[in-house]
Amino acid sequence: MAYIEFKNVCKEYKMGEIIIKALDNTNFSIEKGELVVVVGPSGAGKTTALNILGGMDTVTSGDVIVDGKNVAKLKNKQLIKYRREDIGFVFQFYNLVQNLTAIENVELATQICKDSLSPDEVMEKVGLADRKKNFPSQLSGGEQQRVAIARAIAKNPKLLLCDEPTGALDYKTGKQILKLLQDTARKENMTVIIITHNAAIAPMADKIIRFKNGTAESIESNQNPIPVENIEW
Amino acid sequence: MKIKKALLKDTFKEIKKSYKRFISILLMALLGVGFFAGLRATSPDMVDSIDIYYKNHNVYDIEVMSTLGVTDSDIEALSNIENVENVYGTYSRDGVIKTNDKEIVSKILCVDDVNIPVLVEGSMPENIDECVVEESFLVGTDKKIGDSIEIEPEKIDGEESEYLKNKTLKIVGVVESPLYISRERGSTKLGTGVINYYIYVNKENINSEVYTEAYITLENRDKYQTGSSKYEDYVEETKDKIEEIKEERENARYQELIDEANAEIAKAEEEFNTEKQNGETQLQDAENEINEGKAQIEAGEAEINSKERTANQQFENAEAQIESAKLEVAQNALRLNNEKIEAEKGFEQAESQKAGLQSTLENINNAIKITDNSIAEKQAKLETAETEEEIAAINQEIAELQAKRQVYETNKQSIEAGITQIDNEIANGRQELQNAEAQIDSARNQIQSQESTLKQTKNRTYSQIASARQELEASKQEIENAETELETARAEFNSKIEEAEGKLIDAREKVSEIEKAKWYILDRQQNAGYSSYIQDTQSIENLSVVFPIVFFAIAALVSLTSMTRMVEEERQEIGTLKALGYNKFHIMLKYLIYSSLACIIGGIIGMNIGFQLLPRIIWDMYSMMYTLPEFIISFNHKYSSIGLGLIYVCIVGATLYTILKEVKETPATLLRPKAPKYGKRVLLERVGFIWKRLKFSHKVTVRNIFRYKKRFLMTIIGIMGCTSLILAGFGLKDSISSILPNQYEDICHYDMLVSLKTALTQEQRNTYIENLKQKENIQEVVETYMESGTAGKGDNSETVQIVVPNDNQEIDKAIKIRDVKTKEPFTLAEEGIIITDKLAELIDAKVGDTITVTTADDIEKEIKVAGIAENYISHYVYMSKELYQQVFGESYSTNVLLVQDNNLNEEQEKTIMQEMVAQNEVLTVTLTTTTMKSLDDAMSSLNYVVIVLIVSAGLLAFVVLYNLSNINIGERIRELATIKVLGFYDREVYDYVTRETIILTIIGILLGLVVGYFLNFYILGTCEINILRFEKVIHPISYLYATAITLIFSIIVNIVTYFALKKIDMIGSLKSVE
Repeated sequence: MAYIEFKNVCKEYKMGEIIIKALDNTNFSIEKGELVVVVGPSGAGKTTALNILGGMDTVTSGDVIVDGKNVAKLKNKQLIKYRREDIGFVFQFYNLVQNLTAIENVELATQICKDSLSPDEVMEKVGLADRKKNFPSQLSGGEQQRVAIARAIAKNPKLLLCDEPTGALDYKTGKQILKLLQDTARKENMTVIIITHNAAIAPMADKIIRFKNGTAESIESNQNPIPVENIEW
Repeated sequence: MKIKKALLKDTFKEIKKSYKRFISILLMALLGVGFFAGLRATSPDMVDSIDIYYKNHNVYDIEVMSTLGVTDSDIEALSNIENVENVYGTYSRDGVIKTNDKEIVSKILCVDDVNIPVLVEGSMPENIDECVVEESFLVGTDKKIGDSIEIEPEKIDGEESEYLKNKTLKIVGVVESPLYISRERGSTKLGTGVINYYIYVNKENINSEVYTEAYITLENRDKYQTGSSKYEDYVEETKDKIEEIKEERENARYQELIDEANAEIAKAEEEFNTEKQNGETQLQDAENEINEGKAQIEAGEAEINSKERTANQQFENAEAQIESAKLEVAQNALRLNNEKIEAEKGFEQAESQKAGLQSTLENINNAIKITDNSIAEKQAKLETAETEEEIAAINQEIAELQAKRQVYETNKQSIEAGITQIDNEIANGRQELQNAEAQIDSARNQIQSQESTLKQTKNRTYSQIASARQELEASKQEIENAETELETARAEFNSKIEEAEGKLIDAREKVSEIEKAKWYILDRQQNAGYSSYIQDTQSIENLSVVFPIVFFAIAALVSLTSMTRMVEEERQEIGTLKALGYNKFHIMLKYLIYSSLACIIGGIIGMNIGFQLLPRIIWDMYSMMYTLPEFIISFNHKYSSIGLGLIYVCIVGATLYTILKEVKETPATLLRPKAPKYGKRVLLERVGFIWKRLKFSHKVTVRNIFRYKKRFLMTIIGIMGCTSLILAGFGLKDSISSILPNQYEDICHYDMLVSLKTALTQEQRNTYIENLKQKENIQEVVETYMESGTAGKGDNSETVQIVVPNDNQEIDKAIKIRDVKTKEPFTLAEEGIIITDKLAELIDAKVGDTITVTTADDIEKEIKVAGIAENYISHYVYMSKELYQQVFGESYSTNVLLVQDNNLNEEQEKTIMQEMVAQNEVLTVTLTTTTMKSLDDAMSSLNYVVIVLIVSAGLLAFVVLYNLSNINIGERIRELATIKVLGFYDREVYDYVTRETIILTIIGILLGLVVGYFLNFYILGTCEINILRFEKVIHPISYLYATAITLIFSIIVNIVTYFALKKIDMIGSLKSVE
């Protein structure tokens, strides 16, 4: 059994009288330590799938198994616990707490986890040891995203979920971020899922899941992932 | 047009979408306008109410009182003054009513066409034996309609006739007088010096030559509202005109009185003289009569004496006559005796002659018998003789014999005639003797009868004389009595004459003493009830300025933050519209309509609620102190538009401010997300040792607090406002509720106030006091003299109670006279008086100042103030006995006893009171507990203030906190979503947000306690009535209450926040561009 399994997951949203199917019988699985890139056009359901996987959204039907736990069946409080202990999130727009310094943003996450990593070490890992006392507004976008990643991995999560982490960044910086994510997956043996609409970066992944019309259209394993620095787009 | 339509549609959709925000702005407008309009309207409503009351009941504008009364010609003169519409001459006088257990003093008013009383129950006095009273009179005296009362009007010096024609009056109704709308009834020279009630009688019942006062109503006064400056100017103007005729009228009245008095004196003098003449004549007549009587008695005496003498003479004569008659009779008797003796001798001779004759007769008789026998023998022989011769012989013999016998017979007859002759002679002699004897006897009898007759006559005569003498004696006595009577009458007459002469002199003196008439021209402001009412409307007005400011400030802040938030949220939309080519005005229009709608709807609802609710609540409180027939609530256009205008400026102004800032930006800037507020280090971080010790979450909190300054301010101000209002409310209650214990348990710590009758002698008083002191359950009896008066300095003066203790040390057992600041006890001395604190403040007197003290008898004296004493109710002037005597030149006499009992309960005290009142020496007894109770009722009405304050504060806190919480969540939704994604439990998210709210709340509360402390003082200052001193005190428990209530409100809001946080949509919030 795979580390993560999406089994016949459906997600419907009710918008007034119209029912929108965001996910329509989606199935995929991911192994522990894999770096997964999810690609697909807008509205294909990749973010919904990620949100469900991250415990931020619930399913309409189907099961979501993470490390033997059926997330789809979790109640609200258990969901929070799941997010708290097992998930690290990285967003397109960093979502740093503006009023906290870089290291404090990391601490915000670590203080609620049991086996969190040392914020300082994490900051070093993401290469911001010397900027850790700066406020988000004093950091560049890339740096902010690094802080966001640091905050996510400092919790030592089972899953690192990144929703368009480079969407708001320029090419070079985006590449650095992807590199950081790839390194993290490799070095920490962390399962990392990256959503992107940029199919060009797919070769960096161990597995590529393509979404279309609310379902995982193809799941492709990449035996030879290419280091990010070697990918050009 | 079309553009507008689309925008309008958008606006309404916006309202629907963000109804919470809309409602919160609406609520702020509602509260702000409601409070402002309601509070501001209260004072005008109260003024309106009294204005309409006074107009409907034709209450005077100007009152003219004269020390010598107001005459018809005065009325005439007043009527001719410009602006004067009507002048009513009317009467009032104080009087004493005796009921079962007490004497009460009442103002006797008469029903007239001015100051018409409101009939509450029953009917108006139609007849001169009827009266109407005020409601509290019935309660206080336990009487009801239909009962009768006995009233004794005050006697004015020199007044001869009774003021009332009828002094027993039947209560026929209950009225409310527009002249007495407060509980204050004024002071009097009667009884305890305080007027308890007023009663109205029929005007016909008044028996007075002059009116006591004239009430004037002004023309066109309906144009002005009472108390307004226009009205006051108008009245003042007319008063000035009255002032012009004042002197002339005063002199006229004076002259009239003088003339009247002089005429009366002349008349009295004349009367006196005739009376004197009459008296003297009468006395003379009486004397003459007595003298006449005396002469008569003398004459009578002489007559009696002469009568006696004559009688004596006559009796003597009569007696002598009788004596001589007696002698004669005796001589006659003697002579008769001699004759008798001689006659007896004759008789004896005749007897012996007779005896000789008789023996001769016997011999003849014997011879006759022998012849008869011989004849009988011859006759017998004749019968036997047969011959004739023999017969003739015998017959011869018989004839011889018969002749012989004849001779014998003739002898015998002559002898017998001799005997008879002798017998006759004896019998005649004897008869003669007998006759003589009878004669003597009758003479004797006659004398005897004469003698007894004389005796009787004598007796009668002498008794007659004796009774005459007695009569005379009685007459003499009478005369003597008459003489003493005359003496007393004369003495009486003399003293009367003297008296009458004295009176005449007095009267003449009085004429010279007649003081010049003095006119007092007063207006409504001198009416105690009216002026304190108007004063209260002013203090309400003052209050109504402060409170709404808090609300407006907060309304402005809340709408500023709300609108800022709204504008920020819709930044992109604004940018889009701008990019599409809408001009600034059209873009702004949406927000202006949005806020205007909230503002106007809220404002209109608010003013409608406010106009109804607040004046009503406040009036309910004041109605305990004032009696007005009706409270008129009107929709006050002025304050509704001002209120709405102000809130409009606050809210729409805040909107405009925010939106203007935004629309100035270029569309491009607007379309880009607004740069988030930069994080900043706070000052505290530089204090390493504290910062390092703070928990991470606390650091976040600290930083957040300083990050959102607007919210920081708003929360603090809102909470501060809430706490301070609540604290002020409780503080007000504390201050008010401490008045009674302070005054009656601490300062005046006696249990009973016993007023003694003024007519008592020193001795009676002392005995009574001694007895009272001996009484069981009585602990202390402190003697004082009390009278009401006024104390003033400059233009200000206040009614005061002048207290003069008998002993400067003893008074401490009844009243604590101590310094208002240091609480050091004062000792009364000759240097000056001690006045109470509030009085000092009102008349602006300090230690060392000289103030004017006026007694009830209008004696004015300047006295130095030696100290200012703590006091809470009424004003007192304490004066040592020595100073009093020295200043007023009157001798001191105790008239009030302050009594302390052995901690008796109310029932026991009442029993004692009844016993005391039954005693002759006692006028009234007032129990401190009763006083406290009645005041307590009045003051408990102020609890409403507390409730109003707490409710409004609560509303304020709620709206502010709720708004803040909404804004807080709205503004920080991304941050909150982030931490939710990070896996913060609901509770942790809640803590993350509300920790700052709690800290701000605590700061707000602390500041609120400080502000409330001052606000309380401010409110106390504006609410304080002239006769009350509020102690500026807030009990610790009140701080606790204020804190707790504020916390409860914030907890309620926090609970709401908790659920709002729980509902935050993480995905939606994080998706959007920052």
